[in-house]
Amino acid sequence: MSEMTKKMQEIAREILVKGEAEVVIGWEKGTFWYLSPPAFIDKPEDVQRLVWDDFCHNNLSKYLVDLKNHEGKAAVFVKGCDSRAFNRLLQDKQIAREKVVLIGIPCPGLLDQDKAKELGKNSDLPKAQKCLDCQYPNPLVYDYYLGDKEALNEVAATKEAADYSDVAAIEAMSPDERYDFWTKQYDRCIRCYACRNVCPACSCRECVFDQTRVGWIGKANNSSENQFFALTRAMHVAGRCIECGECERACPMDIPIMLLNKKLVKDINELFGEYDAGIDIEGKLPLGHFDKNDPEEFM
Amino acid sequence: MMKTILKAKLPEMLEQLAKEYKVLVPAKLEGVSRFAAYRENLELALDENVTMPPKDIFFPQTEEMYKFAAKDQSLEIEEIPQDEKLQVIFGVRSCDMKSIDCLDQVFLTKGFSDPFYQDKRDRSILIALSCVKPMESCFCTSMGIDPQKGQGADIQAYDLGEKLAFEGITERGQEVLNKVSGMFAEEDAAIPPMGEFNLTANVEGVPEKLKNMFDHSIWDDISRKCLNCSACAYVCPTCHCFDIASEVRGEDGVKIRCWDCCMFDEYTVMAGGHQPRPGKKERVRNRFLHKLRYFPERYNMLLCTGCGRCVVKCPVNLDITNVIKKIKEA
Amino acid sequence: MSVKEMPQNWEPKILVFACNWCTYAGADLAGLSRLQYPPNIRILRVPCSGRVNPQFVIRAFQRGVDGVLVAGCHPGDCHYVSGNYFTRRRYLLMQRLLQYVGVDPERFQARWISGSEGPKFQQVVTQITEEIRAMGPNRKLRDAQ
Repeated sequence: MSEMTKKMQEIAREILVKGEAEVVIGWEKGTFWYLSPPAFIDKPEDVQRLVWDDFCHNNLSKYLVDLKNHEGKAAVFVKGCDSRAFNRLLQDKQIAREKVVLIGIPCPGLLDQDKAKELGKNSDLPKAQKCLDCQYPNPLVYDYYLGDKEALNEVAATKEAADYSDVAAIEAMSPDERYDFWTKQYDRCIRCYACRNVCPACSCRECVFDQTRVGWIGKANNSSENQFFALTRAMHVAGRCIECGECERACPMDIPIMLLNKKLVKDINELFGEYDAGIDIEGKLPLGHFDKNDPEEFM
Repeated sequence: MMKTILKAKLPEMLEQLAKEYKVLVPAKLEGVSRFAAYRENLELALDENVTMPPKDIFFPQTEEMYKFAAKDQSLEIEEIPQDEKLQVIFGVRSCDMKSIDCLDQVFLTKGFSDPFYQDKRDRSILIALSCVKPMESCFCTSMGIDPQKGQGADIQAYDLGEKLAFEGITERGQEVLNKVSGMFAEEDAAIPPMGEFNLTANVEGVPEKLKNMFDHSIWDDISRKCLNCSACAYVCPTCHCFDIASEVRGEDGVKIRCWDCCMFDEYTVMAGGHQPRPGKKERVRNRFLHKLRYFPERYNMLLCTGCGRCVVKCPVNLDITNVIKKIKEA
Repeated sequence: MSVKEMPQNWEPKILVFACNWCTYAGADLAGLSRLQYPPNIRILRVPCSGRVNPQFVIRAFQRGVDGVLVAGCHPGDCHYVSGNYFTRRRYLLMQRLLQYVGVDPERFQARWISGSEGPKFQQVVTQITEEIRAMGPNRKLRDAQ
């Protein structure tokens, strides 16, 4: 058992015994060695299920949206990305700060599940792409901290500055090439909405894509409807996406969803000044305010 | 004696068959393995089972049923012409062969016959392919399936490593083999034994036990981490729920039938707005009760074939073998 | 109908989202002043340019328009004080996103047109119609394949 797993179980037990929260949301070992799905712990005797390893991918802040109307308190383990998601949900008034106990974990970056499956246990596994792009591996907000308190920000960011070279590669294509590229990607979308449902930025009580009766989106699976879904979702999470990359990991069809989201992050930064979602909860939201001196292009 | 062919020669054989039939084969397309119409230089996916099951060959994700036009006071209905060519589907694994049996039950039995499904099914000649090494997520034997014998196959193919062996089972299957008989060698071939399974599930007594578990607390526990997406249902070879919608543009319209999933809000919401399955618990419970209790009650078989696709694709690893275990322990 | 080939007698179809307080009045003035502009546009009146949801634009392309113009009050003139400033931000992002997935920039444009700018309305509509006419029918994002 790793040192961090031990610390996790200890703090979870303490929180449950003291009654600081009714439930602790963490990760546990799944069906295979490279899966560490979310776990909900209600009883102190169950804390030994909790683990911390290289595959704790799920962004647990997403589950706080489920507990919005819940009376009691929940304790949640947060990596850097989970904490950004928490902040962003807080800004959208989706959760109440006082109803959540946050336990911060410095995250050294997680490993690629697909590669783990392919290469096997005793191989040198690469980090997940989302973690290679990560600028905020340390939790930004917490009530308890499981790392070394003396050395805050103990994990160095894998990326000092954001890297948009993958986005730039697509921007460099001709319009028709870009259209063909995205059509190919989204033609294989099965519209299972795993990307939406795993996404901590998607917190609408009723989603537009669940309103086929109203006619917002057609039920048919075809290029046009799939692209409608992709583009609308990208716009809806613009300014909310905290780049945890969960959408792309969850996608059963391996669609590079983050390439869309990163494009919007990049443009927001270029157009409206530096902004990373979920970093500064006092900061203004890029699509929630405006500046009279915003770029004036076509208007 | 069996008819054998070198795997390297397989494309040649498929090419030959494609002259006569529409030939569907497991292939890797844009990074996803699925059944696709054979063409030259197609990247065949024969090492593992395909990600997308053969379900959509018979029951497409979106199917146009008929077109209509409203003119003045009258309504014109136009049927959609169906493809008439026979189709040979090569490389269906035992779990997916069983899933076709499940779909047949739903679409063709109990006095209901779905013409859209039936048409495609009748035109299909199935070549089952035996497995040698289970994937780590496979548990078909736990569901009573023989991984080396596809139920309902017209032809059974066996993976012999370097070679493939073919055995005609039905008359239609034999006919297909006769078309390419010149390519086969006749030899005694031993079918390699099946490897060890990593996953198992003990379903004995589960359908009966579930009769009294509708209000059991395990559903709260199981459903908590579920995200209510439909990744499991859409990669499932047996999930068969659908929704019928009209797409209308001006005076013209088309009726379409599309996959649906019990995890979605619109699946159960009533005309008046009442939602009988409002949350994760109710929806997850329905999914597993359907697979493990309602379907066995109605058709005397489980609605899970142990293909393991949902175990791999679920974003939160909500593993059906684990659910079965919890039901047993409850 | 296949959208890949250029249909005979094809005329561009352009959807104009016009804000009720400025651009719609501008279009009205153009009409009252008997200013000629191409009949290729369909005006959809919205309370404010800020009402234009990104979905409206994608849906329009899906259903077969060849270009979309969003038009509203000049900065500082919004009837609702700041609606058009929000439109501007959203539009800047949306424009780039659509380009990123391969939509040509000419097909999605935005302009400030006030209630007294009948001639500007005429000139903008004429110019956009000609640009899109030169490009041909839009096949991207369309639901008829």
